Amino acid sequence: MTAHPDAPVPVTTDLDTGGFWQAAAHNRLALRACLDCGTVLHLPKVMCHRCRSTRSGWREIEPVGTLASWTVVRAALHPAFPPPYTIVLVELDAAPGARLIGYLDGAPDLAMGQPMRATFQQVRDQVTLVQWSPLPAVISGPSPDSLVPDLS
Amino acid sequence: MSGGWSLRDQYAISGVGATDFSRDSGRTPLTLACEASLAAIADAGLAVEDIDGVVRADYDSVQPGDLAHGLGLPNLRYWGTSGIGGAAPCGMVGQAVAAVAAGLATNIVVFRALNGRSGLRLGRGSAVQRAASRPVGGNGGYEEFFLPYGLIAPGQMFALLARRHMAEFGTAAEDLRAIALVARRRANANPAAQMCARPLTEADYEGARMISEPLRLFDFCLETDGACAVVVTSTERALDGPNPPALVRAVAQGSGPRPQAGTFLTALMRDELLTQPSAAVAELLYQRGGLGPADIDVAQLYDCFTITVLLQLEDYGFCAKGEGGPFASSGALDLDGSLPFNTAGGNLSEGYLHGMSHVLEGVRQIRGTSTSQVTGARTCLVTSGIPAATSALLLRAA
Repeated sequence: MTAHPDAPVPVTTDLDTGGFWQAAAHNRLALRACLDCGTVLHLPKVMCHRCRSTRSGWREIEPVGTLASWTVVRAALHPAFPPPYTIVLVELDAAPGARLIGYLDGAPDLAMGQPMRATFQQVRDQVTLVQWSPLPAVISGPSPDSLVPDLS
Repeated sequence: MSGGWSLRDQYAISGVGATDFSRDSGRTPLTLACEASLAAIADAGLAVEDIDGVVRADYDSVQPGDLAHGLGLPNLRYWGTSGIGGAAPCGMVGQAVAAVAAGLATNIVVFRALNGRSGLRLGRGSAVQRAASRPVGGNGGYEEFFLPYGLIAPGQMFALLARRHMAEFGTAAEDLRAIALVARRRANANPAAQMCARPLTEADYEGARMISEPLRLFDFCLETDGACAVVVTSTERALDGPNPPALVRAVAQGSGPRPQAGTFLTALMRDELLTQPSAAVAELLYQRGGLGPADIDVAQLYDCFTITVLLQLEDYGFCAKGEGGPFASSGALDLDGSLPFNTAGGNLSEGYLHGMSHVLEGVRQIRGTSTSQVTGARTCLVTSGIPAATSALLLRAA
């Protein structure tokens, strides 16, 4: 998919969320996490809702997840998104409860719980979207635990 | 015991008013708001001079001062706003009750006016329409995590929840269909409903175009131009009016144990996808009212989509979590069922007044004046929108 000129593009400089997009521009998936108690702060925000610390930072996350839901959009609502297309809701394996959205062209075969892997789609200079592609089978190789910082 | 709520049945809705519901009103939201408010004031047996308070919805273009100016209110001394979006109406009534109870006002008009079909269509994604070509998101709204991926409209978000409910609990399209068909039958009896003259069959539902799988055209509500208003006052004063009041047995607002920022898409980031803030509000509402689901004679459930109703059936305790599908298909929601619902046709088939028409129909059931009257109805549950947060009312006959 190439970025449509009318497609909405994310603000990348917001003080709460900008780090996510700055990491994405380097083809990395990062979530905000509290530096005091380790709670993942997603959707990203400076203040920790668990310990109320304002010390938070960005942790790189293994870019794999599982499909939590999807919908095939059949009605045209926006010129940048001609139907059919598919919206996926992906739960991150390394940060249970944290979810991200992805866009897929057309109406691919999907199944609940399917493994998904992040891809990085540059849509503008310095603006990259984290997208998600279905994987055919459970990933082999190192377990996510061995690759991801402990976020407790 | 009653959740700190001590105003049981002491405040009431004394008047209701609405405009016609259409696809193109040909009037401004201000004119619509004034028309509905005047009708509600007259229905309460009051004059414009008696109104000293106004409560509006955050999504309304009409500000309290606009309505006061439009109607020529000479005694405005209280105003307020509630939200968010479709979650507003029952909370707006609660805000008016609190203001009257505190002595800040005597008779408060609560209204919602919108050109929801000929003007800004919320169903097409208001954030993406406002954004035009500039970058989206920031400032705590989090649109940047959704809109760039083509997730822009409420129906797409609810489609994701519907798919998940189907996968977890075996809910079927036929269960959603049952909700759409019951709402339509009630609209067919209501001359004010936009779908009054349009019966809906199972074949019509199945044959309608898919919008966002698994949701089809008739799983979506009817974007509408129009306005609704009610007058809130003390029960003592309401009993002097020309029409029977609907007593506010209890009211509750809540965002649930894990609040989310933003408007609706952010609900996809809550820990629990299929339990809505409705569950927490239901618990508080029943506690405050001293009543439970078995005491509800008729329900007006916010229905921006069919799946929205199904989720609330579970959250308000009419069936167990996961049982919403079989419950909806059982006939329980029909006029002769255990929980007659949306007796004017609801957002789905009367018109999408962003939840305010549900309050009006709740009052009509308590008065015994609905076009689909539930015999002997004395207790009506009214709910407002999900998912970001919600509110609900228990209305009772005097």
